[in-house]
Amino acid sequence: MAPQEMDVQRALELLHMSVFSQSVSPCGKYLAAGNSYGEIGIFSLSAALSAEAKEESKKPVVCFTAHDGPVYALTSTDRQLLSASDGELKAWNWAEIVKKGCKEAWSRRPPYRSSLEVPEINSLQLNLKDNSLLLAGGDCTVHAMDLETGVFTHALRGHTDYIHCLALRDQFHECLSGSEDGSVRHWDLRTGGQVQAIEVHKYEECSRPQYGKWIRCLATDSDWMVCGGGPALTLWHLRSVTPTTVFPLAPAQHHAMFYQDLILCAGQGPTIYHLQLSGDIRARIPCSPPALHSLCLNQRSPEHKVLTAAGSSHKIDVFTNFGYRAFSLAFA
Amino acid sequence: MAVVDLQDEVIRKRLLIDGDGAGDDRRINLLVKSFLKWGHGASHEEGYTQYQRMLSTLSQCEFSMGKTLLVYDMNLKEMENYEKIYKDIENSIAAAHEKIAECKKQILQAKRIRKNRQEYDALAKVIQHHPDRHETLKQLEALGKELQHLSHIKENVEDKLELRRKQFHVLLSTIHELQQTLENDEKLSEAEESQETQMETETKP
Repeated sequence: MAPQEMDVQRALELLHMSVFSQSVSPCGKYLAAGNSYGEIGIFSLSAALSAEAKEESKKPVVCFTAHDGPVYALTSTDRQLLSASDGELKAWNWAEIVKKGCKEAWSRRPPYRSSLEVPEINSLQLNLKDNSLLLAGGDCTVHAMDLETGVFTHALRGHTDYIHCLALRDQFHECLSGSEDGSVRHWDLRTGGQVQAIEVHKYEECSRPQYGKWIRCLATDSDWMVCGGGPALTLWHLRSVTPTTVFPLAPAQHHAMFYQDLILCAGQGPTIYHLQLSGDIRARIPCSPPALHSLCLNQRSPEHKVLTAAGSSHKIDVFTNFGYRAFSLAFA
Repeated sequence: MAVVDLQDEVIRKRLLIDGDGAGDDRRINLLVKSFLKWGHGASHEEGYTQYQRMLSTLSQCEFSMGKTLLVYDMNLKEMENYEKIYKDIENSIAAAHEKIAECKKQILQAKRIRKNRQEYDALAKVIQHHPDRHETLKQLEALGKELQHLSHIKENVEDKLELRRKQFHVLLSTIHELQQTLENDEKLSEAEESQETQMETETKP
């Protein structure tokens, strides 16, 4: 193909690109972002944040095609980047990832019931306590895989529709999963059984039947859980299973996280909301993508502590002071 | 070569130091020239005036030298002063950095406290929706008492009903018995009558 055609093709691709997932390297200097074309782009945060940053430092250091399908979930261990897509999980070594032509360290497929369907893996959660990885996705089960041996230990079944998100409560060896069927299920990781199922859409304070009952985002913080999606974003007290605060946000939220005394969440609008546990909206920060899919906070390196937000755009916004957008990284 | 360079340096330095420096040099040269002239001089009065003039130029030179020495001292003292100020500023910068770190820690602590308070408030709100435990207990007690009372009444009413039923039963059974006896009596009397008429018809013919 002639170079101009490739440029036009790439420009079209950039126009329609969505970034679904992000993960920070263990040293805190690089950000990996996975997009809808199966590519993973590695951005250098230290270069982009330094005083002499130019336009070039906001482009990926390296960008390679990791999967055939979109990269839905990314997470990092001490030495590897794990990426999940349609039915497969691949691991890449961070040490070699910055060089061109990186090959995956290993690749696994969780055991699916039927070999015909290839369900996507929507969410990955790393459980450092017993060095295992939880994956969940289109086959409505949560799989637990031991990272040392690669053996799939548990398969937690119970959901009736595909799972959007996972959250971990490691002090209790439990995990939570939110799904399209509107329930948040609580699993005990030691026994592999279900502790309880919370049907969020049945509680009238938070249910919004006009949007549906799907639960897209989950976050936990010891006894508290925040979940949202079709129903409004609500703060739950897990011990008593009561919805304590319903946040008055109109758009559906795609990602929520606890940060210090705030809850940060982002969803279908081009804004990041800073919410307080009492229900007040402390701030609405505008960002460039029209809808946001993923928020990532770099806690691993204190001098590069930034919040990055990515969504339905080829740009990834970087917030140094969480109150305003500093600049954007972009796929090229 | 080195001598020429040195001379260049000297000339450069001399050209740089303008004002009094060049004037002083000229003055010293003039003094030397006038001294030599005075040495070779003839008349007495001229020699005296020349001598006076030389003394004045000499005192001027000494004066300017004294001035430069004082300026040099002043510069040294200024340097010391600036050094001191520089050290003070550095210390206060370090202290400010420490204070900033302390304040950051305090902010984190305060945020944690605020978070705990808000969690407490959220739970308290939920709990407030539910009625007070004492009240519910009291209500439960009152309801229990009512229940007891009502069941007591129900028992009484049932007992009464039973009694009345039994009495009615007794009454009805006595009535039936009476009816029976009356019927029996009637039958007996009818039978007796028919016997009597039979006997009458038998005796008559």
